[in-house]
Amino acid sequence: MISMMRNFPPFKKYRGGHWLFALCIFFLPFLAGCPEQSETRIDDMGASRSAFDWQLPAGIPLPREPESNPMTEEKFQLGRHLFYDDRLSVNGTISCASCHHQDKAFSDGRERPRGATGHLHPRNSQGLVNVAWYNSLTWGNPALGSIEQQVMIPLFGEDPIEHGINEANFEQVLQSLQADVQYAALFEKAFPEQDDPLFGDLAWDNIVKSLASFVRGLTSFNSPFDRNELSQSARRGEALFDSERLECFHCHAGYNFSDATVDRTTTTFVEPLFHNTGLYNVDGLGAYPEPNTGRHEVTGQAQHMGQFRTPSLRNVALTAPYNHDGSVATLEDVIRNYASGGRHITSGPNAGDGRISPIKDGFIVSFSITEQEIADVVAFLESLTDEEFISNPRFSDPWQDAE
Amino acid sequence: MKSLSAIRVFQIPGRTLNDQVFIMRLSLLLLAVVTTPVAAHYIPVESTPVTVDASMVMTWRSASLIDDYDFWQIPGTQMGGHAWPAQKGFSLDEMNLNLGYRIDENFFSVIKLGSHAGGHEDHGGIELEHAYLGWVCCDDTGPWVAELGKMSARFSPGVAMHAADRWFSEAPLAVDVFFGRHFHDQGIRLWWHETAGVSAGAELWRGDAFPATHSENGGAWDVFARYAWQGGRLSLEFGGWFYSASADARADHRYGGGHQHVPVAPPGQTAALFPDVRYTGDTYIVGLHGKLGYRLHRDWLVTVETEWMRAEMDGAVHDGINRQAQLDATQQAGWVQSALNWRRQSVAVRWEQLSTDNALVGAAAPQLGVQSGLDNPQGHTPKRMTAAWSWQWRDGVTVRAEAIRDESLLTTEQRWTLGVVWKQRLLPQGASMHHGH
Ligand code: HEC
Ligand code: HEC
Repeated sequence: MISMMRNFPPFKKYRGGHWLFALCIFFLPFLAGCPEQSETRIDDMGASRSAFDWQLPAGIPLPREPESNPMTEEKFQLGRHLFYDDRLSVNGTISCASCHHQDKAFSDGRERPRGATGHLHPRNSQGLVNVAWYNSLTWGNPALGSIEQQVMIPLFGEDPIEHGINEANFEQVLQSLQADVQYAALFEKAFPEQDDPLFGDLAWDNIVKSLASFVRGLTSFNSPFDRNELSQSARRGEALFDSERLECFHCHAGYNFSDATVDRTTTTFVEPLFHNTGLYNVDGLGAYPEPNTGRHEVTGQAQHMGQFRTPSLRNVALTAPYNHDGSVATLEDVIRNYASGGRHITSGPNAGDGRISPIKDGFIVSFSITEQEIADVVAFLESLTDEEFISNPRFSDPWQDAE
Repeated sequence: MKSLSAIRVFQIPGRTLNDQVFIMRLSLLLLAVVTTPVAAHYIPVESTPVTVDASMVMTWRSASLIDDYDFWQIPGTQMGGHAWPAQKGFSLDEMNLNLGYRIDENFFSVIKLGSHAGGHEDHGGIELEHAYLGWVCCDDTGPWVAELGKMSARFSPGVAMHAADRWFSEAPLAVDVFFGRHFHDQGIRLWWHETAGVSAGAELWRGDAFPATHSENGGAWDVFARYAWQGGRLSLEFGGWFYSASADARADHRYGGGHQHVPVAPPGQTAALFPDVRYTGDTYIVGLHGKLGYRLHRDWLVTVETEWMRAEMDGAVHDGINRQAQLDATQQAGWVQSALNWRRQSVAVRWEQLSTDNALVGAAAPQLGVQSGLDNPQGHTPKRMTAAWSWQWRDGVTVRAEAIRDESLLTTEQRWTLGVVWKQRLLPQGASMHHGH
């Protein structure tokens, strides 16, 4: 190269070869450059494949589907009919939709609901929003891991009685469904591999699987928050929510605003998280009133007293009253309870100072907050309301549509 | 004979007579060389037992690389350490105060306080960067040297170099990405240390410096060797190293990690929460470097330098909600730079490139790819070009200006800088510090 350059006319004039050499050295970096192409190969091992159209925005990972009940549109549609069907109860008075109203994000606006025979449920009806992403079901039951298991509780449970279906009446309830010709077609489509899905032995199993498929398909990710259309106040509220002062985001974490979230990307086993938020302290030791002792109700372990699963806050503005027993009327009051580091109940059977509960979660610390800031946090929570979800005909009562 | 083997590099088959004349002239020069060993300036010698050196680099930049409430993640890499992005306005890039003390014939100690530019929330506090005890054998400065304590790594010239020693105010991309810019850790080093000749050694680290972690399975070690040769007109140095690190749940401590704070932005701007994606696994990096200096004339000196690194990562990226994906990556980065000095002026150019080849496998690979920065949907190969002019205004004070074309991110950014470098030996008075560019 040196020789070539030395013979190149412009360089010939140079007397010293070392000048040229120096020039070459200096310009060496300009010659550098590898044509190397960069690449990142991503293999999610099939985690984004599903036979079902989940209608999710980009960035939201698919929820898990149980191997024994993969999602299909046909099961979803059958489940939707069953969900809204009063015949699926002891006396034809109650359907799932009696306690789960679409316009209230599938909660019911009551403190606590009554079952078909008038039993008062000890807990508040939950909204059914992105249930597919929870790693445990209901307010505080660590043993309920699948929606299929959960669905059997309102159908067949005795304490409390909800749909009131039992050994004595289940054949009669099933017959009322079999009498409807629509169901024959819906069951055939949903379970094409079975000879007789509606009249055969698997009929109840199929009902449960379809109801679970419908609930699993209730997805809501189209709120102003998701579209990044927050008001000034909601933006301030978001910053407060995500601040170390309020600590909300630690438990109401991630894209579903709950640390009890699992999806296909969470491959390892996760110990479900439950928290005591200091709502009660009836004995000075942090006890919650019976039977709503949360995780403790199931495990019987003292350290689980008052621990509940963190609920998602999506559509929370529609699901008043709040908390596991519906004992808090408004979002403002929920925030005030957090601000005082727990709830202080001064009179009545549940009197006690939750603020000094020895077993409340470490993130339940008191903080000062102005009324304007409370309004901002509420504005943020309201921005999580998905109007499309509560009006989506896919999720609505098919019997009414047919009329 | 050293010199002959060195010039063999320039013997090109099919050379012309002109070339031969040139090479002969060069050889003569080289043979006439009196090798002048430069004292390893950081080891205080018995004749001047106390040395105090100070340096400071202050730079004004015309533009920020990224917005104030954004994170600097070069596509295809998982960064960390202290690799803060260039910010508009004045920045105290670094400040160092170094005290060396010769205890006796065999022992010396070094204490250094330093600070470097932090991020937006000013992480640039003063830190005890060095505190170590050294042992030398067989001569005032070696060749056997053992050191123990908190110190900077010596395996790579690029990693060891400070902003006050570089032609450029900004650290090489390779050093930012692979080593988080500054490498200070607790460890021990044993080396054979010949300032003109062969140096080789090994270092063992606790793992506080990126990309390792100090944890049960964490830690790092390295080995290195280099050869330096200096003659009248020509000086040469080349070498290689291997570095191995292990990390457990390593966080990007610039923005994440255990003490993560929620960023607060002024009204009208948003500050996103940093996705705290961790890395657990091994990182192996090999490096090769070379430097050639050629003095044309009493007033003219030209140097060209290069360092090239190849990193292999074998581990998993994961986050706080139990998502994970296996990472198998090969990333290469390096730079070539040259400088021309004339008396007190110099111009220098540096060309850098980083190429990444990553494979992420696992159910969470798409999400973690985006959040960790390892995803690179556009196949971007980051590059940067820097041109600098510096003028040594006073003995210890240099003024420098740079023009930078930064393609580390998808959008190309241009910025220019104006800065001063103050670098001086305060004790013993009158002695000027070896200006080690
Ligand atoms: C009598 C009112 C009532 C009826 C009828 C009812 N539910 Fe519920 N639902 C509740 C209450 C109350 C809870 C909270 C239960 C608890 O915490 O123990 C709940 C919880 C749930 C949950 C758990 C949600 C979560 O976030 O974990 C699902 C799923 C559910 N119901 C589905 C159904 C389905 C399907 C039906 C019909 C088969 C149904 N429910 C019928 C009142 C009702
Ligand atoms: C320690 C974890 C934790 C923190 C921190 C936390 N929450 Fe909760 N949140 C929960 C749990 C658990 C529940 C259900 C408790 C119950 O009903 O007993 C809940 C319930 C709620 C509810 C009622 C939801 C419903 O459907 O009834 C709202 C609203 C709410 N939280 C908002 C917030 C806000 C706002 C903050 C910050 C000020 C916050 N949370 C901080 C865990 C937490």
